[in-house]
Amino acid sequence: MTGLNWQERLGQTCVQATLGEIRSIAGKMLDCGARFVALVVNQTKDGDLRLDWHWELNGKLYSVESTASLTTPLPSIVDIYCGADWAEREAHEYYAVTFEGRASTLPLMLPEGDPPGILLRHPGGRA
Amino acid sequence: MSYRVPIGPYHIALDEPYKIEVDCEGESVVGAHVKVGFNFRGIEWLAQRKNMTRCIALLERVCGICSNVHSMSYCMAMERIAGVEIPKRAQYIRMVVSELERLHSHLLWAGVAAEIIGFQTAFMQVFRFREQVMDVLEAISGNRVNYSMNCVGGVNRDISDPGAVAAVARDIREIVNRAVIPLFTHDRTISARCRGVGVLTQQEAIRYGAVGPVARASGVDTDLRRDTAYLAYDEVKFAVPVQTEGDVLARVVVRALEIVESCNIIEQALAQMPPGDLHLGDIYSVPAGEAVMRVEAPRGEVFYYVETDGSDVPSRIKVRTPTFANIPTVVAMVKGNELADVPLIQAALDPCYSCTDR
Repeated sequence: MTGLNWQERLGQTCVQATLGEIRSIAGKMLDCGARFVALVVNQTKDGDLRLDWHWELNGKLYSVESTASLTTPLPSIVDIYCGADWAEREAHEYYAVTFEGRASTLPLMLPEGDPPGILLRHPGGRA
Repeated sequence: MSYRVPIGPYHIALDEPYKIEVDCEGESVVGAHVKVGFNFRGIEWLAQRKNMTRCIALLERVCGICSNVHSMSYCMAMERIAGVEIPKRAQYIRMVVSELERLHSHLLWAGVAAEIIGFQTAFMQVFRFREQVMDVLEAISGNRVNYSMNCVGGVNRDISDPGAVAAVARDIREIVNRAVIPLFTHDRTISARCRGVGVLTQQEAIRYGAVGPVARASGVDTDLRRDTAYLAYDEVKFAVPVQTEGDVLARVVVRALEIVESCNIIEQALAQMPPGDLHLGDIYSVPAGEAVMRVEAPRGEVFYYVETDGSDVPSRIKVRTPTFANIPTVVAMVKGNELADVPLIQAALDPCYSCTDR
């Protein structure tokens, strides 16, 4: 599916991808009828971000894994999957990441004006 | 004439704080904007500061309706990281409690829907049936909201009187078959109020990532109990109701039929439940690792990502609740409908704003 080298790991079907491939994968996922499940962002020990976009198709979980530095803009898939809107806004609030291609990133859970990045291990590490 | 109607965050039509701003042309809705976060508690932040046992109690408080499913999903993720399999009896007990939770959640929703439609008698009757389920949950766990049934490695309590639980499941199934399903499928008032209202197409359901009864009412045939067969769901027979209309009535019908299926599962599970241990003993830490756990909650798929570093404090817990996935669909559902239908449309999601906010 999607022409990628999917591998079984931890009960999921996973693939590593670059940030540049995410939008194209999302488009192929939509073509297959896959449902967007979640975007999991996690900070690694060396301070970078690990990103996992999860989709479901026929009960199976497909996970696309990528990494980025704290200051790297991430590709938005909102125009492909509108359900990713809240996931991206939440990722912004938790890790202060920015998404390219969004008209705006309005607060979701935090009050307007609160600084993002509440789950960052080193607050202020991001400009 | 165009105008914007703000509903909430505190409003008589809402059970929890939430805001929807509805753009109207006359009486017709042309757009909507949703605002959540009024109950934000920072549970993912808190979870990274509590040991794995205290996290069970914390995560059980993500939701006041499907509390059990959250502690269970977390414990199952921890068990996956630890590489342990819990005793068969514990799997069955988790399954029975999960289905009882689905019963009371769906009955609660049916009652609330009846009230919004203006059918006060149905509301009171359905809540009377729901009380039976709540009594059973209290008899099993000692609690009506946070049952504290789960621990990493199994369950804390046994079901000491399976016959009484099965009898309630039989009663509920009979009542729902005799009264609730005909009411929601044949009553002309309910039909007039719900049919063709708040339509979410199958394509929209996929693009929005809708889950649970909302997705199934739009023709998306998905149910993790069948598709991934966790616990002992592959050892019981049940159907997954799917409707294709995508309107409020379809969501009503899916949930009503699911009540019957839950009763069937409970009865089978209690009859097949083997003797044995309830848990694997005390587990206070797990090795470093990560796991994703997905469980079918009453409102749909609950998604947990748990990462551990070998200490007794999880290094990351990500919780995606079903309503988090479903609420955005209301924007698609309300378009083209009348303003007066908005409360019913959003109620038909069976939303839980507090678990969305976490």
